[in-house]
Amino acid sequence: MNNVKKTVLLGLFVSQALILSLIESWISIPTPVPGVKLGLANIITVIAIIFFGFREAVSVVIVRCVLSSIFGGGGWMLFLFSVTGGVLSAVVMSVLFKSGNNKFSITGISIAGAISHNIGQILIAALLMKDLAVAVVLPVLLISGCIMGFFVGLVSSFLENALRKTKIFE
Amino acid sequence: MLKKDDLIIFGFVIILIAASFIGVSLYKSSGANTNKIAVIIKDNEEIKRIDIDAVSEPMEIAVSGDYSNIILVEKGRIRFKDAGCPDRVCVNTGWLTEKGDMAVCLPNRTMIKIEGQSDNVDIVTY
Repeated sequence: MNNVKKTVLLGLFVSQALILSLIESWISIPTPVPGVKLGLANIITVIAIIFFGFREAVSVVIVRCVLSSIFGGGGWMLFLFSVTGGVLSAVVMSVLFKSGNNKFSITGISIAGAISHNIGQILIAALLMKDLAVAVVLPVLLISGCIMGFFVGLVSSFLENALRKTKIFE
Repeated sequence: MLKKDDLIIFGFVIILIAASFIGVSLYKSSGANTNKIAVIIKDNEEIKRIDIDAVSEPMEIAVSGDYSNIILVEKGRIRFKDAGCPDRVCVNTGWLTEKGDMAVCLPNRTMIKIEGQSDNVDIVTY
């Protein structure tokens, strides 16, 4: 694949991830703790890892977080919050995808990614607030992360099959 | 859809969930089981400490900063009533009623948490 094509495809990934995070901000999930999200943008991270690799996936995550902070507001705090979760999730999923030699399913990898995302966000929140008390929401976040990660994984594997048929990434 | 080795991931995830549940329940059950003290923290500094069981009339506390927060205190409970930040996670957290409950506004670096009794408490009564 030449560089121009790669740039265009990664740019498309960023815009799709942005749209997905916008859509999921309209959907509120009734839970006992706030901050439970669908993690739809993770679909794009998974696809970027499958078709490109770690560096490209992390770049897409970082650009997405920068743009959504500029458009959505919230300043440095929210940017750090989303970028830490996103990058940790991309790192964990890439490691499992690459070193796992196809041992793990996309669904399993996506669950691990969703949970890393939650843990990363709690860690950065605890660091920024200098208080571990923020971790009281972790049990609920981990369980919701499992459920959302499962569905994100299913969608990603359907999308992977559909994209392979298009031969766009060759 | 799933593979055999996914069990490794699931096992790890179950251990994490169990550990977090144990950790949080230990944290919530620790400390003296007396009056509930709400602590308001802004930029890592404690700005107010209220015995919420001793509050008789509802009151509002405004917290300024990059974004604004309005905190509402009633007898036995406290919450973020309004916030100027875009995500409003703090407001959606709702009422904090039990020891160990916490709500945080990350954009404004404001946090409310409920602790057990300790020294140096301003008992606020109106």
